[in-house]
Amino acid sequence: MIANIIPLDYFAVIMFFISFFGIITSRNIIKSIIFILLMQTAVIMFWLFLGARYGTAPPIVYELGMLDDLSAFADPMPQALMLTAIIIGVSVTAINITMLNALFRKYKTADWLIISDIARKEESDD
Amino acid sequence: MLEVLLVLWIVLAMLIVFENKAYRIIVYFGIFSLITAVCYLFLGAPDVAMAEAGISAFSTIFFVICIERYYGRKGQTLVEKPISIALGKRFAKIVLPLTFTIGLFVLFIHFMPDTSVSTYLKELYLLRFMEDIGGQNAVNAILAGYRVYDTLFEALILVISVVAVSHMSWSDKTYVSDGRPSDIEGSKMAVLTMRIICPLILLFGAYIIANGHISAGGGFQGGLAVASFFICRYFIYDIYDIPVKKVIKLEELIFINIIVAAIIAIFVGAAAYLPAEFREIYQGAYLLTMNILIGLKVACGFFILFYRYIAIERGEETNLNVNKGVKS
Repeated sequence: MIANIIPLDYFAVIMFFISFFGIITSRNIIKSIIFILLMQTAVIMFWLFLGARYGTAPPIVYELGMLDDLSAFADPMPQALMLTAIIIGVSVTAINITMLNALFRKYKTADWLIISDIARKEESDD
Repeated sequence: MLEVLLVLWIVLAMLIVFENKAYRIIVYFGIFSLITAVCYLFLGAPDVAMAEAGISAFSTIFFVICIERYYGRKGQTLVEKPISIALGKRFAKIVLPLTFTIGLFVLFIHFMPDTSVSTYLKELYLLRFMEDIGGQNAVNAILAGYRVYDTLFEALILVISVVAVSHMSWSDKTYVSDGRPSDIEGSKMAVLTMRIICPLILLFGAYIIANGHISAGGGFQGGLAVASFFICRYFIYDIYDIPVKKVIKLEELIFINIIVAAIIAIFVGAAAYLPAEFREIYQGAYLLTMNILIGLKVACGFFILFYRYIAIERGEETNLNVNKGVKS
């Protein structure tokens, strides 16, 4: 029903821009990290929509007869690429959280504005 | 069904945008990831769905550990100074970014190509993968065979991330001997449940790793399940006794093994020279070896990440409260 009004893969685009808005407006570093994750999720969803355009059966072939109708399967190629992207995304998140810990340790806050104020003050003192 | 899930997906993202309580954001993020995993399943990608489910559990745990240390158990608000109601500031902080984002969105929609997608690679891979690589799962065949360089690169990124986290986390100690008891220690029922579930988790991980080339799953997903076993173990016994440095060495060793196995498979290419009756055994052995090695490596990597965060969390000062520590 909703698919008649807008194509479903536009939801991924909407999500991408919601997280973009979140990144440029959020004042907290934790929120920024989460929005980077959401943006990555939106990109992955978009790729999987591209792969599932001509069929949504999982690309697992149990018998050779299934290969007669190739249009039933989803595209295995974006799935393999996105599996790689997910692991890279969580590695980046782990490093982000560690850097956030270092910032917490130094400035005792996770607010972009307060951190930049303190850093500017320290710079002008030097 | 997929439409309803996608609408819920958007609603949860909007909730995260306008929420300011620390713990609520993390809980919304967990629900969001769960919905994402189910959507992936509807789009015919069970491998990606399993990976997303495991990854979301791990990132939620990382965020909870990080927030608990600095915001306390109660979970205060993230924003320390509320946005002022003055018109100029509100314009600069909300209306301007909103206009910018909507403009970009409209540009994207206008220039988005709506031509048909090429299915050349899909047909090529689906028709040939059983002969070339072996197994029955096309995604696993692409990961371990056709695009093995991507897998190597991604394993390298995970190693780099683990090394970076263990060097940047400011705590020189690899052991944290004195720990405060965890909250669930008193609850016999939780511990009993975890003790029953733990062996099942390990068995499930081993099953996913060993069956990766036949059904959905593979090295990453099984490795995540195996690593979650160690998290349960930590929560049950509340001990921190495994030396992290040795596990890092082990992970690097396994990474070298993955490179060697891939080089042997690609540059020697034994499948082409073997007689036909041995080819299937060779292919199965290669896929199984790659899956087991990648699974062990991912399990080691996530285990190290979790232990490092626990070391940060149980470090010197406990519960630095952010809102009290701010100087004007």
